[in-house]
Amino acid sequence: MLTLSEVTGISGEEGNFQVQVTQHPRYVDMEKCIACGLCAEKCPKKVTDEYDAGLKKRKAAYVKYAQAVPLKYALDPENCIYLKKGKCKACEKYCPTGAIWFDEPEKKLTLNVGSVIIASGCQVYDPSTHDVYGYGRSPNVVTSLEFERMLSSSGPFGGHLVRPSDHQEPKKIAWLQCIGSRDVHIGARGYCSSVCCTYAIKEAMLAKDHSKTPLDTAIFYMDIRTHGKDFERFYNRGRDQSGIRFVKSRITHVVPKDGNGNLLIRYVDPAGKRVEEEFDIVVLSVGLGVSPEAAQLARRLGIETDHYGFAKTPGFEPVKASVPGIYVCGGFEAPMDIPSSVVESSAAAGAAGSRLAAARWSLTKTKKIPEEIDIRGEPPRIGVFVCRCGTNIASVVDVPQVVEYAKTLPYVAHAEENMFSCSQDTQEMMAKIIKEKRLNRVVVSACTPKTHEPLFQETLINAGINKYLFDMANIRNQCSWVHGQTPEEATEKAKDLTRMAVAKVALHQPLAEPELSIDQRALVIGGGMAGISAARALSAQGYESYIIEESDRLGGRAVMLHETWDGGDVQGFLKQIIREVEADEKIHVRLNARIKKVDGFVGNFKTTIEQEGMEETLEHGVTLIASGAAEYKPDFYFYGKDPRVVTGLELDEKLIQKDASLKDVRTALFIQCVGSRIPERPYCSKVCCTHSIKNALTLKALHPEMDVIVLYRDMRSYGLREDLYREAREKGILFIKYDEETGLDIDRKGEALEVLFTDTSLRRKMSVRPDLMVLATAMVPPKDNPLAQMFKVTLNDDGFFMEAHVKLRPVDCSTDGVFICGLAHAPKPLDESITQAQAAATRAVTLLAKKNIRMAGSIAEVHPMDCSACGVCVSICPYSAPAFALEGPHAGKATINPVLCKGCGLCVASCRSGAIHLKGFDNDQIFAQIFALREAV
Amino acid sequence: MSEWEPKIVAFLCNWCSYGAADLAGVGRMLYPSNIRVIRIPCTGRMSPKFFLAALRQGADGVWVSG
Amino acid sequence: MTHIGIEPGRLQFSWISSAEATKFVDVVKDVTDAIRALGPNTHFVKTLPKVA
Repeated sequence: MLTLSEVTGISGEEGNFQVQVTQHPRYVDMEKCIACGLCAEKCPKKVTDEYDAGLKKRKAAYVKYAQAVPLKYALDPENCIYLKKGKCKACEKYCPTGAIWFDEPEKKLTLNVGSVIIASGCQVYDPSTHDVYGYGRSPNVVTSLEFERMLSSSGPFGGHLVRPSDHQEPKKIAWLQCIGSRDVHIGARGYCSSVCCTYAIKEAMLAKDHSKTPLDTAIFYMDIRTHGKDFERFYNRGRDQSGIRFVKSRITHVVPKDGNGNLLIRYVDPAGKRVEEEFDIVVLSVGLGVSPEAAQLARRLGIETDHYGFAKTPGFEPVKASVPGIYVCGGFEAPMDIPSSVVESSAAAGAAGSRLAAARWSLTKTKKIPEEIDIRGEPPRIGVFVCRCGTNIASVVDVPQVVEYAKTLPYVAHAEENMFSCSQDTQEMMAKIIKEKRLNRVVVSACTPKTHEPLFQETLINAGINKYLFDMANIRNQCSWVHGQTPEEATEKAKDLTRMAVAKVALHQPLAEPELSIDQRALVIGGGMAGISAARALSAQGYESYIIEESDRLGGRAVMLHETWDGGDVQGFLKQIIREVEADEKIHVRLNARIKKVDGFVGNFKTTIEQEGMEETLEHGVTLIASGAAEYKPDFYFYGKDPRVVTGLELDEKLIQKDASLKDVRTALFIQCVGSRIPERPYCSKVCCTHSIKNALTLKALHPEMDVIVLYRDMRSYGLREDLYREAREKGILFIKYDEETGLDIDRKGEALEVLFTDTSLRRKMSVRPDLMVLATAMVPPKDNPLAQMFKVTLNDDGFFMEAHVKLRPVDCSTDGVFICGLAHAPKPLDESITQAQAAATRAVTLLAKKNIRMAGSIAEVHPMDCSACGVCVSICPYSAPAFALEGPHAGKATINPVLCKGCGLCVASCRSGAIHLKGFDNDQIFAQIFALREAV
Repeated sequence: MSEWEPKIVAFLCNWCSYGAADLAGVGRMLYPSNIRVIRIPCTGRMSPKFFLAALRQGADGVWVSG
Repeated sequence: MTHIGIEPGRLQFSWISSAEATKFVDVVKDVTDAIRALGPNTHFVKTLPKVA
């Protein structure tokens, strides 16, 4: 990892780039810095902290934020007194390790690489660019990012919600949306930043949570755009449960009140009355954009950008830049939220890797793992390492006292304290001590095992002892951080927790991890755009796949699409890739196929399919679900009864077929949210707003005299799609927000279709008589989805597949080896389905490329001699791990498949014979912890 | 015994309550320091033997949380 | 449980998801208060003299 580095130039071509990198000095030797923080403490120079959005001060010797990676301090050359004026050197004087390095040189490096990925991120809009809100003049006008820091418990006010001017608790907070977004005036940007609506709702909800007294929150918006997966539910919760007020009004300026720091906002309420309202804090929901540095980088690399500075990508290859071999992801490609950025990054990594697949493993060096010392039979020799975590633990818990106490515990052969037990140098030192003192058990009293256990286990492996001879006492997250006001009791608790861990670890035994070979083929369920894209991505990486398609053709819903929003010819592209798939030797397509049965698990799935009465069993190591969704067909609004009423996709079909009757249409009416955002389907279908705008423009182009009207609730042309919305309005397409409360009244008056509604901005009843009525209907998942049951994966309340983690693992299912992409995951447009398919393929490759995986060692085991073969474990296990042995000396007794076992211990607790033991959490180990408590009481 | 404070043994599921406890730490939320946490892989691991043993060893209360 | 001599209230159960830090803190306080209200546990403690 190269920090403080800048790409200054690039030469060569795809497969063989030379990248020039300048690494600026940190003025701190990374090898020596232990991040103790003394330099910052002693540094006399105070600087405005940009991380805390200017609300706090930091020093010129600093670490950007507490969780920074690598956790090493740096000197800020713009502010360091010595670097500026040649005097001071306080940090050098106090640094305990001599890490300060004033004459660290600037380094020039040349990297030889095959592909380049640009993930330079985005920058928030600076509202002082075009100042009408008093930002910078009124301290209580803050940006959303500043407000984020104000809410944070590590922020400038310690998570206590107060306003910057007088540190008083606010009673009323307003959020102003679209600051610097959806605005073509000077300094602002025309596009929608996609993320601000959802984050404003989140901030308002959190602010209410943080506030001790009832807090009034109001969000002033143009359209609420909660188009992401499950975001609409979040919006509903914010409005209905948290009581956030949503006011549809674009605020053009904020007036500071004299004397009290309050701010005045003027708007027109839904009844048409002019209102003047005072707020304590005004939050500006600033948009995202490309930073000048990223723009410069794009120029250096010679990649094309659009008129906003975002990297240009072909619609059907959403992570590919204009220069072959260079890929982009995240906020430099378009404004997007975290889940989309993570999906794009996986897709970009896969695309970059696919061109290098031939060279895989050619330059890697295999890490030497020291041979494991067999410690069985030795009496325990326990090492206890108590972490200060800088001041995180040591400021509350008396760490030296815990260390002294640990030394008195049975079997403890060594105890010491560390500034940061997790730092690289402490790790090395720890391994050295384990070897020198022949320790055979280790306890680290520090943070949480949930994040740091693997790191310390790595150290044990490096020291040559089995990684299961380890335990942690959680004296930070569950002690010092939560008992800050009672340091003495916290120290007692830290001692107890350490003693319990010591008692338990003494009984730990070395455990083996079962190894599992991975079948190198993939199963892709669904032959739509997502499925095809995933199979192509896998093939590009050198892996075989089967595509299982229920219908008699590939293409899924995409065969009904006319053009993408940016004008891509869907049918042309689809024909081309179907040809490619058919010619690809690594892709095996099974049409008219249904899945009958699924056996096995990650690495070794056996899926039985039925194809025209014939059964076939396919073996595969991973599964990618791309089973799609359908367009909702309503049974109202005269759909199916009147030929003038069609769905969005049916209009596309007419456009693809160049239906001549479209030319005769005089009035076309689009109705949005048909079947979406309603109580029984409380999600946004994401694609329909843009789809309708696109088709409205196509109709208008076909016949410029045509009246084209779009009836909507919120127009959600997010991201760069906003340009299309603007173009549509400029071309005379009428967009009318109708009143949801009064709804739509559709009737047939003789021959004519009549649509009655209330226009919210005119506050008047209107009627339209269209001769083409297009229903933008919802995207719906299948009613019963047997796949969920078969692969043991979960569906969300709306019937879409659930990811393992929205942000961290957005294309993985909770079941190992199963991945998800396309409409089966959530409604999304074509380009996002392709990106997600590429991301799912990349994630699948991370498993396939390993060839073998190791399972955890902390699993259940049956002692067959004790087993009474009662079968309770077999029936109780949620993962079907136990079964009766069919052969061998213990036939008839229960045995547990180590690959399927998740180590939950359900069978252990339920076994009436006490025959099942959970390695790592066995009865005696838990009893040891309980008994160790005795001393405490 | 005006200063008597109960000792409570908490059996927390690694995936649920233990995670919540960690998160409470990240949020620096303050709470009484009476609990001593034993991490178990799942509440399914919990056996009556454990809470009986804890009470026998003098704990004043046992809290099991999934 | 009362049958084997445990007072109700000594054993508490709850369900908290890993994201519910606030709920965790609330429950810790409730559990601590409930058990504090019961007073020291005397029913069941294995005292050393008895064992000896």
